[in-house]
Amino acid sequence: MSVAMVVMLAVMGLAFDFGRIYIARNEAQVFTDAAAMAAASKLDGTDAGLVLARQAVAKLPMRWNLGTKSFTGVVVEFSPDRQSWARVTAPDNQVEITFLRAVGGPAVFTVPAHSVAAAKPVRLVE
Amino acid sequence: MNRKNQRGHAMIELAVSAGVMVACLAGTVQFGYTFYIYNELVTAVGNGGRYGAMRTYRAATPADIEKGKAAIRNMVVYGDSRPAPGTPPQVANLKPSQVEVAVFMDDSGQPESVNVSITDYNVDAAFGMFRFTGRPAVEYPFVGRFAPAESEP
Repeated sequence: MSVAMVVMLAVMGLAFDFGRIYIARNEAQVFTDAAAMAAASKLDGTDAGLVLARQAVAKLPMRWNLGTKSFTGVVVEFSPDRQSWARVTAPDNQVEITFLRAVGGPAVFTVPAHSVAAAKPVRLVE
Repeated sequence: MNRKNQRGHAMIELAVSAGVMVACLAGTVQFGYTFYIYNELVTAVGNGGRYGAMRTYRAATPADIEKGKAAIRNMVVYGDSRPAPGTPPQVANLKPSQVEVAVFMDDSGQPESVNVSITDYNVDAAFGMFRFTGRPAVEYPFVGRFAPAESEP
């Protein structure tokens, strides 16, 4: 009976917790993609451009954890010449583990994401 | 205790635990499938948002703007801005009418960002229904070409 319980918790954990982890990972990746593009599009080689880029990232309304939590601790970095590329990292998206914790899993699982975007993206001709 | 009694115990044990086990398995299927669909939706709106951000924004008439938005909706649903007739949606039962596209303008009247979200989408997960409105949503900065006097081809 107790063996069956452990197996069942593990199965539920695989479906529920891994489902949430994969969603958070995907949401974080889409966010950093958009944020890197937003930051890179503001770059002009000046310090004012960097300020605008950081503001553009902070303005993005995207959320994670099934669209409920804001991204925190977002790091925005730029190329040394301040006009070639921007890199955005969302480092601390911690998914709380529900079922796998009962069978020896961690309490939280962090799914970081990062993206780099060029300041002059290829535009679609369409 | 004789064997007949043991069999009775096992039956009672099964009767008590079956309810819990079926509920757990039903929940697993329901949430597992819903999360899978949600993940697919995140990918779809992400791709559509990126496409909308890089696409030329033609604004000669309101009809041209609407055509551009329809192309973005098609990209979300079919993975193609001009899908062939009969193309299946990338996410089960998703329709272009369930994708909301908004283009925000800056103070100078140029497109600034493209917001793509899912609205009124129901996930039929065998044992229950989940409804997604307003999420998942993405917002991409507009980095395409702005063509206020051009018409959609």
